[in-house]
Amino acid sequence: MYVVLIVYALLSLFPFIWSLLISFTPMTYTDDRGIERGVDIMEWPPEMDLFEFPPHFFGAPATGENYEEVFHIAPYGRWILNTLIYASMVTLANLFFDGLAGYAFARLRFRGRDLIFSLLMATMMVPFPAIIVPTYLLISDMGLINTFMGLILPKVSMVFGIFLMRQFFLNLPIEIEEAATIDGASIPRRAFSVMFPMARPAFITLGIYTFLNTWNDFMWPLIVTTKKEMFTLTIGLNFFKGSFYTVWPYMMAATMLMTAPMIILYFSSQKYFLEVNVSSGVKG
Amino acid sequence: MSLRTKEGFYGYLFILPAMIIIGVFMLYPIVMTFWYSFTNYNGTEQNKFDMLFVPEDALQFHFGEFMEDLIPEDSQRLEKAFNAISLIEFDIGVKLSEEQKASFSNEYFKVGDLMNDFLTGSLAEQITVKQFLERYLTGKGRNLLSYQPVFTGFSNFTKAFKDPYFWTSLKNTLLFSAIVVPVQTLLALLLAVAANQKIWGQKFFKTTFFIPSVTSSAAISMIFSLIYTKPGILNQMFGIVGIPAVDWLNNPQTALGAVMAMNIWTTAGYFMVTYLAGLQQIPASILQAAQIDGASPSRIFWKIIVPLLKNQTIYIVTMGIISTLQVFDQIYMLIRNLRNVTLSYYIYKNAFEYGEMGYASALGVVLFILVFVVTYVFKRVYREERVVKEVKR
Repeated sequence: MYVVLIVYALLSLFPFIWSLLISFTPMTYTDDRGIERGVDIMEWPPEMDLFEFPPHFFGAPATGENYEEVFHIAPYGRWILNTLIYASMVTLANLFFDGLAGYAFARLRFRGRDLIFSLLMATMMVPFPAIIVPTYLLISDMGLINTFMGLILPKVSMVFGIFLMRQFFLNLPIEIEEAATIDGASIPRRAFSVMFPMARPAFITLGIYTFLNTWNDFMWPLIVTTKKEMFTLTIGLNFFKGSFYTVWPYMMAATMLMTAPMIILYFSSQKYFLEVNVSSGVKG
Repeated sequence: MSLRTKEGFYGYLFILPAMIIIGVFMLYPIVMTFWYSFTNYNGTEQNKFDMLFVPEDALQFHFGEFMEDLIPEDSQRLEKAFNAISLIEFDIGVKLSEEQKASFSNEYFKVGDLMNDFLTGSLAEQITVKQFLERYLTGKGRNLLSYQPVFTGFSNFTKAFKDPYFWTSLKNTLLFSAIVVPVQTLLALLLAVAANQKIWGQKFFKTTFFIPSVTSSAAISMIFSLIYTKPGILNQMFGIVGIPAVDWLNNPQTALGAVMAMNIWTTAGYFMVTYLAGLQQIPASILQAAQIDGASPSRIFWKIIVPLLKNQTIYIVTMGIISTLQVFDQIYMLIRNLRNVTLSYYIYKNAFEYGEMGYASALGVVLFILVFVVTYVFKRVYREERVVKEVKR
């Protein structure tokens, strides 16, 4: 059992470690005798010296230059900003709209509620590429190509978010709400001051899930952004891919830069990541 | 207001914003995909209405005469020679539909104004086709102001039927799903069972296996494109056991397989966590009882564990089917060969590179139906299988 797990753990980590090493490897370096030398990152086995400072990967001293260079050859800082704006706006909007709708579907009785909800659930299966043409034309007719509005607008509410929030509100004890009603609290008051604070973990879960998915989103930004200044990180990555020759250390530095925040987010709030996975899995 | 009506009011109010967004950006596009699939909607033609041009140049072409040779008295003569449709279609280069042309006649075009502006030289500035037409079209002529797709019946579908690239992309999509879904599900289950023992480091394994799924598909694609290069690490490793080097992503024989392997690597760990949560809900006493009764490990696995994880399996396979049938990102990033692309990519290619949005919508309808049918069949089969088993018992 251990063997299987360890082998698979190595397999999971290895690509990241390998990319990380390459992202710190210079293209050329000057050796002890002052001779300029090229570095072969495909060399096998790689000449590693980890006990020196700076450590040597592929025979050359490690350097952070590739990371600096990424910001020089491309508007990488701008892309980080774009992605941050895109992901946080979408996240905030989803917390608000999905929270409200999820609460209504779970706790308020109104005509057609269950019918509307099951209709929503059915749309979860719709593949985005199938409806991409009308969605694009809609945004394009609104004149929102290459704008944040165009990126964000179609994403401000998701069926999955509504589902997640509804599920959570359903599991909260009804007595608390009943007590609030007896105390004379109105429905908005009940929702905003009693239920929503109790749903904090659900909001965090939804927030992290949405932020991660939007940060990593690919197809929509690919279509809505055509100007370099409006790219998100995932689209910008293609910029480092040469048509004949790719400078791998730059490419890997760019890749690591966009991956690291999500891995850090994951480590710092693991429990919420697992929450999405498990809660959707058991009830799905 | 009674409590009942209040609840109704706030219920609708609370779902309203979400419903508007989902209605506009989900339900409306679904309906429009079906509608566009019956038209010849062409993005390139549509864009031409926003194209910049110099009206003076177009008119010089139209009349075959140069500005310098013309005097204000030529106005009458030019007006007679003028043909609005031919100017728009041939000299500006915007295609009009038959319906647009049929509804048009010269009375809807302010020819006099145009000649006046032309001969006084006030048309030498660049403007868009739309701005130009807005200035001179009146009445029914305003039909010509925007792009109009033409209803073409099932022609997009018959075109797809005869399009070898459509069949290839459909085949690749099905192959992708048929290989990736079972392998990643089984792998996830095996890893979960392995990690479900009382072992040291369970949390470490869970954490590690999950990492690929928080990484963007674009980043993973780039990491793997490095690993898959001909002098890359994978070939170096294979070289040790004597497997000859292959250019994994540029070889049409191996490219799709390489992307599949990458996809399995990305998702198996994610689903392993789902399975593990399910496994941890199975009371240890059940497994112990089976062991005491002398059941072999493989019997315990197939007869106890697998049936008890039914909910997880349905979820994992359904999610797997839905996501693999629409795989796009990795194909876009890694595949340079039209023989190895999937349906989603072919939709993108037609819509945004060839401008064939009507055709792309028809392919979208196919994808739509494909996802529904496969998911439905899976759920049906799985349910029936269970019924049969229960009856046999």
